Amino acid sequence: MTKAGMTQPGLTKTGMIDFRDVNKWFGALNVLRDITLSVEPREVVVVCGPSGSGKSTLIRCINGLETIKDGHLIVDGQRVGDPATNMTQLRTEIGFVFQSFNLYPHKTALENVTLAPIHVRKIPRAEAEQAGRELLAKVGLADKVNAYPAQLSGGQQQRVAIARCLGMRPKIMLFDEPTSALDPEMISEVLDVMVAVAEEGMTMMVVTHEMGFARKVAQRVVFMDAGAIVESGTPDEFFSHPKTDRSRAFLSKILRH
Amino acid sequence: MMWQQFVSLAGSYPLALRGLGMTVVLSLISLVLGTLLGFGLGILRTGGSRLLSSVIGAWVDLIRGTPFLVQIFLIFFILPEFGIELDAFTAGVIALTNLAACFICEIVAAGIRSVPSGQVEAALASGLSRWQRMRQVVLPQAMRIVLPPLVGQYVLLIKDSSVVSAIGLTDLTRVGWLVVQRVPNGLLVFFLVGVGYFIVCYPLIMLARRLERRMGAAHGEVQL
Amino acid sequence: MLENFSFRTIVEYLPLFGQGLVTTVWLSAISFVGALLVGIALCAMNLQRGWLFRAPAKAYIDAVRATPLLAQLYFLYFGLPRLGFVLPELVVGILALSLNSGAYIAEIIRAGILSIPRGQVEASVASGMTYTQRMRLVVLPQAFKVTIPPLLGQAIVLVKDSALLSLISVAELTRAGQLLASDRFMPAEGFLTIAAFYLLLYYGLKALAGLSGRWLGTAGART
Repeated sequence: MTKAGMTQPGLTKTGMIDFRDVNKWFGALNVLRDITLSVEPREVVVVCGPSGSGKSTLIRCINGLETIKDGHLIVDGQRVGDPATNMTQLRTEIGFVFQSFNLYPHKTALENVTLAPIHVRKIPRAEAEQAGRELLAKVGLADKVNAYPAQLSGGQQQRVAIARCLGMRPKIMLFDEPTSALDPEMISEVLDVMVAVAEEGMTMMVVTHEMGFARKVAQRVVFMDAGAIVESGTPDEFFSHPKTDRSRAFLSKILRH
Repeated sequence: MMWQQFVSLAGSYPLALRGLGMTVVLSLISLVLGTLLGFGLGILRTGGSRLLSSVIGAWVDLIRGTPFLVQIFLIFFILPEFGIELDAFTAGVIALTNLAACFICEIVAAGIRSVPSGQVEAALASGLSRWQRMRQVVLPQAMRIVLPPLVGQYVLLIKDSSVVSAIGLTDLTRVGWLVVQRVPNGLLVFFLVGVGYFIVCYPLIMLARRLERRMGAAHGEVQL
Repeated sequence: MLENFSFRTIVEYLPLFGQGLVTTVWLSAISFVGALLVGIALCAMNLQRGWLFRAPAKAYIDAVRATPLLAQLYFLYFGLPRLGFVLPELVVGILALSLNSGAYIAEIIRAGILSIPRGQVEASVASGMTYTQRMRLVVLPQAFKVTIPPLLGQAIVLVKDSALLSLISVAELTRAGQLLASDRFMPAEGFLTIAAFYLLLYYGLKALAGLSGRWLGTAGART
């Protein structure tokens, strides 16, 4: 696959996530323009671009937090937005990490992790708690199991949020600017966890400007501007030889600091 | 039967208008006086004097803790014992003004407290006097917080004015009560009374909601 | 001046005031439970997507909020017999208070639910919860905390509003004061005494609201 996984519309083979000519408008604003993009199983794709470029909207469409107006979006073989697709069921296969963590403030770290497994996956409580403790240990928070979100730092909250997603044993993990709300010294602890998840072979789409992370684990970087995918390539290609003016301008801005 | 009732009701039309007029006038006078008094009390409540603040706080609690009907009875029946003769209208205005002032005082105080102390410090640093600080810096910012509940309070005031009918003032509610003695159709009579209040109150409710929405625009609404 | 103020008469009438107080308390309690039921039902209707349930709920809430309780009370008191329901005054009063407070409680609950940050709902949607699970596990437990203080505020309003039932001759606290005022021409004794009793209820409920605030404030995030 030369163009790093770009599939032709009409090609029958589908990836884990398949956008075909997807369009979306907010009122008159075309926030997604003719998006065609395919993500293979176990692939890690980093999405970057200036603010307002539609990158968050792109990944929010995948689990139906946003609805698409036009085109096809096929995730794990199921068509998003099709009335026949059980979105609630599909969402259990997709972990979503928010910029603002969105931990449940009335639940402890462990309860945050086990809530959906117990009530959605119907895993017995003891088993879910066992798994939850292991996951929290894995993200380095074995000692914070009974802490409430308000007692945790931003970096710790985001790691709990990642553990919360992993607790559902998803096939896909989506990250929406997971480190943007963090103080600089907390960014690496979250990125380390994300690298570990990527190395286990998770299919991931990550909206981020953390270029170190992209170089380390991404197979592909997608650059968006004004709702369209402007450029797509391996991290090396993209960072060393950006092809368009817009991507060069963007890179010069984010690499400056 | 039905026809007779309608004729009889139509005959009460001037009375109904007078009642509605009374409700509006009573509310309007109390609203203006109550707002002035309430703002004054609210500013004093957050001002320097501890003693003054707690005296006002205690009075507000007394008024908030007792039914308005009881307050009206107290004013109407007890003030004469102190040699102050009152008609029902004056008693109503006093009771409503006092009630509105107490609620507005707390609304204004909350608004003033919501202004960050840095604002006051900045005003202090630039040499504004106490009154200038209040007038130029604090109150304009506090108004954002004050306005929606203030309008809501006006609605409550108009509705509470109906209670003054209990001491015989011929307001809209009292007119309904009088008419229903002659035309025994409580549903229709008090439906019409309700319509009268609705016409006065609903625009204010809409205004309060709109103000609230404008203030809370930053809050995302849950739709999913 | 009040030089003839007779504490003796107040003591003499104390059993009557006691009965009035007890009646006010229990009729308010029943009305509050009724109002909660009305409020929950209205709020559930109001949160539906289709206008079929929303429109009537909204219209009802607006109608109640834009008209005085006293007019609503008279509407039921003079109107229900016309529809063939001849009910005791007490029942009419409880009905009026429940139907009136229910509209306000519906708005309190709605505000509580809407106060839950959008991100909370998105997080639970993303983890594949159904509408009911989201409500039960994420939204309502948090909304519950937010609604308790305003609900207690509404309870205070309801207790005070119940004084209006004296105007349709329900033998509650204010009625007891009126009786003393008219039987013995002692309005000061009558109305000051009941004012004191109402204040007792007010400060009681206010203390409860303070306690609940502190308790709820610590229940979520123990720091």
